[in-house]
Amino acid sequence: MAFTIKKSWSDALVFGLSVFLIFCLIFESYIELPLLVAWLGNWHPLVLHFPIVLLILTVCISLFNKNIPGNLLTITTLTSLFTAITGFFLSLGANTKGDILFWHQWLGAGLALLTALWYWLDGNQLGQHMLTKILQLSIVIITVFTGHYGGMITHGEDFLALPKRDDFKDIPKKPIIYEHIVARIIDEKCASCHNPNKQKGEYIMTSLSDLIKGGKIGKAIDLEHPEKSELLKRLHLPREDEGHMPPSEKKQLTSIEIKLIEEWIRLGASDTLQLNHLKSDSPLEALVKTYIQPDEKLSWSKLPEIDKNIIKNLSTEYLTIKRLASNNDALSLNMYSPPKYSSEMVTDLSPIAQNIITMDLSSLPISGKELAFISTCINLEKLEIDRTLVNDSTITHLKTLNKLKVLKIFDTNITDASIETLNELQNLEKLFIKNTKITDKGISRLQKLSSSIQISHGIHEDILSYFVKDSVVKSIKEKE
Amino acid sequence: MVNKKDNTENPLKINRRHFFSQLSVGIGSIALGSLLIPDLFKSNNQTLGSKPLGIPHFAPKAKRVIYLFQAGAPSQLETFDYKPTLIKRMGEDLPDSVRNGQRLTGMTSGQDKFPLMPSAAGFKQYGQSGAWISDFFPHMGKIADELCIINSMHTDAINHDPAITFFQTGSQQSGRPSIGSWLSYGLGNENQNLPSFVVLTSRGKGNSQGLYSKLWSSGFLDSKHQGVLMRSGKEPVLYLNDPDGLSRSDKRHLLDHVSSLNKMHHVETGDDEIESRIAQYEMAYRMQMSVPDVMDIKKEPESITKLYGEDVQVAGTFAANALRARRLAESGVRFIQLYHQGWDQHGNLPSEMAGQAKDVDQASAALILDLKQRGMLDDTLVIWGGEFGRTNYCQGKFDPKTFGRDHHPRAFSIWMAGGGIKPGITYGQTDEFGYNVVKNPVHMHDFHATLMHAMGIDHEQLTYKYQGRRFKLTDIAGNVINDILT
Repeated sequence: MAFTIKKSWSDALVFGLSVFLIFCLIFESYIELPLLVAWLGNWHPLVLHFPIVLLILTVCISLFNKNIPGNLLTITTLTSLFTAITGFFLSLGANTKGDILFWHQWLGAGLALLTALWYWLDGNQLGQHMLTKILQLSIVIITVFTGHYGGMITHGEDFLALPKRDDFKDIPKKPIIYEHIVARIIDEKCASCHNPNKQKGEYIMTSLSDLIKGGKIGKAIDLEHPEKSELLKRLHLPREDEGHMPPSEKKQLTSIEIKLIEEWIRLGASDTLQLNHLKSDSPLEALVKTYIQPDEKLSWSKLPEIDKNIIKNLSTEYLTIKRLASNNDALSLNMYSPPKYSSEMVTDLSPIAQNIITMDLSSLPISGKELAFISTCINLEKLEIDRTLVNDSTITHLKTLNKLKVLKIFDTNITDASIETLNELQNLEKLFIKNTKITDKGISRLQKLSSSIQISHGIHEDILSYFVKDSVVKSIKEKE
Repeated sequence: MVNKKDNTENPLKINRRHFFSQLSVGIGSIALGSLLIPDLFKSNNQTLGSKPLGIPHFAPKAKRVIYLFQAGAPSQLETFDYKPTLIKRMGEDLPDSVRNGQRLTGMTSGQDKFPLMPSAAGFKQYGQSGAWISDFFPHMGKIADELCIINSMHTDAINHDPAITFFQTGSQQSGRPSIGSWLSYGLGNENQNLPSFVVLTSRGKGNSQGLYSKLWSSGFLDSKHQGVLMRSGKEPVLYLNDPDGLSRSDKRHLLDHVSSLNKMHHVETGDDEIESRIAQYEMAYRMQMSVPDVMDIKKEPESITKLYGEDVQVAGTFAANALRARRLAESGVRFIQLYHQGWDQHGNLPSEMAGQAKDVDQASAALILDLKQRGMLDDTLVIWGGEFGRTNYCQGKFDPKTFGRDHHPRAFSIWMAGGGIKPGITYGQTDEFGYNVVKNPVHMHDFHATLMHAMGIDHEQLTYKYQGRRFKLTDIAGNVINDILT
């Protein structure tokens, strides 16, 4: 060996460091670190990688009954102890210790001391003893756990979790603004650095009182002058700014999320405020609704699975079937006037009926058969059957479409008799009926029955007369 | 076209040296790679991400774009950026503190003085949003509440060709794919009987700059994504119609034989462009039926044609093209690019611009109204604007009747409407001279990123590998402007 550490010297060092570590752990609450020693703690994230590798390596060599070369074990033991001590220094910077930090500390310290024990056993020619082997195995296991807890502190508790889709399943219908929305945003975008285990800027954001209390700089939420809250200031700073939060390389809050938090603070940052307490025209209500909206997109994820061959086989040059987005089975269907149209072209689509979310059959000569098929597309949200032969009797098929939001039925012959059918579409948001036989009376009746529908029946007369000069307007109006 | 592609992309063209060098690195990394990424060997040699082509990355707000490009660069000071300070300080020299040494074009850099010139048109506030719009555009005023006016656009180029190339392709140098080609590549055709990217051009009486087909080129992307120029008049697409005496069934036989020959050639060389060529022959065959139908505006009722104004009856005008654009949109064309030339007012701005505005004002506004009454405005993104702005100082003789304005890339105005864009807002702000952007700047790359976002595409994920580098429309820049999205 070209390089040997004198045994007695290294023995003394291992012994000394072990004693120091035990001393530290026992008198933790009395220790006040000099600045330079505290700085030593910052080396912990760097040096910790050495013992992880060295421990596993040394144990493997030993378990295969090979001689541990040179001073490998000595170096391993020393780095383990050094890492544990620097880790201890680093942990003193945290005010309160969370569960994860607690486990990480004790496992780490235990690991270092077990390694020291192994070092001692090895020095006493007990290296190949059965007990030593058990010790070595447990060292590897503890290494894994300590490393994992450490990882959770730096990278967040779910850093090893499988990537999951951002779903909004657990937001109830009447959410509590703080618990179900604000806390959720913070959990996703802020909490990985501001939690009891890793208190960047001494700021914890995982409970409401801590969230308001703030950190090093002081109060984060100013209830008297909400607009002066440090939290909001940080969110609003330009991303390039040093003080901007979250840090520019981390996942950012969306503008809706920022506005949500802003409005919630403006209303007093309460933990009891619920969505249904809000006035229907309050900005927060609108924000919450837009925030939760993806919920509907989630309902698409429950659609029956569609094989891409089915789409391929059903598609023709005149029939386009596409997924609405790459991550779900929601389909859009669009038929462009084929040279020879027959109603089977539509009714043959029954294998995918439930997956059709938007359907455009405009300007095709569709009749009762097609509409009967459409009534089986129960997940339909948008239907375009403008410029078709649909009439008051065939339109009654649509009654089953309780998810329908947009219906385009302009340039058809439906009359006021269809109002009843239209009124049964509970989720209808937008209705386009220009140039139909529905009268102004019919429109106002429908509007009265369901006030939430936006009815578009053509360009407003004042605007139209500006675009189309006088006499012409009249003749057009008469024609229609 | 064939030579454009990297030879290494052709699986059959690997030489011995290449083979060995790849083999040595290859086997090890294959073994590792397949363990880590199970999908590694799916045929996917062009995209960076795992996002499949032909499907939006997320549910889009807009399904299509109608881009009313005003070529030549209309002045922001006579359209949407109201600057009363210029009236007060008319004739005064542009303060150096404002210009700050920024470059000028050779056309005015020799001028001794840069006298400020106020807008040639009055301004009014319109709608509930109170948007300022100049008197040149009264019809747009009527639909102000549908528009999102952006007064803080800025670009890098100061001359027409690089600027318009930058706007259309994301790069000042030609050779990159146009926006419409990127969208066609990313989202595919909606209607298999029409190209997904169509170009319509018209020309006003104002001073014009050239338009070149490179603006709607597919660059290094497959040539099937190229924009198709549709002309006005009898033959919208040149050479699409069969000569007299050739029946449609004869044509079918011809195409079948050509296609079988092409397929043999494809087996031999492995060149993907041959496949596109076969697809394009087939598309053209179907377009023989679909194009005349979709371009024929005689089928529109009088109530609609009148809405677009008198010009609509004259083939080749902006109004006629606007109405055609709506018909194309209805038929599933994904990107409809209109160009109206004649906005380059270096002189005679007041009269020329009045004429240009008259060409486009009513039809642009009518298009919005027409889309809206058909429920199409919700999923159609309409964009109106030029390639840069114009200077706030006078070019040439200081005469309020005949003055001109030079090119100005530092700030200009466009509007967007529909398809996921907030209606009734004015975004961004310039200084009181209308020279520099002072609030919410929107760079060209940001504009592109926002446009892609509205179409359901993450602009950082849509890439194409060419000459060893992965290209994007937004290059390595671009932020989605969330503030203008609904």
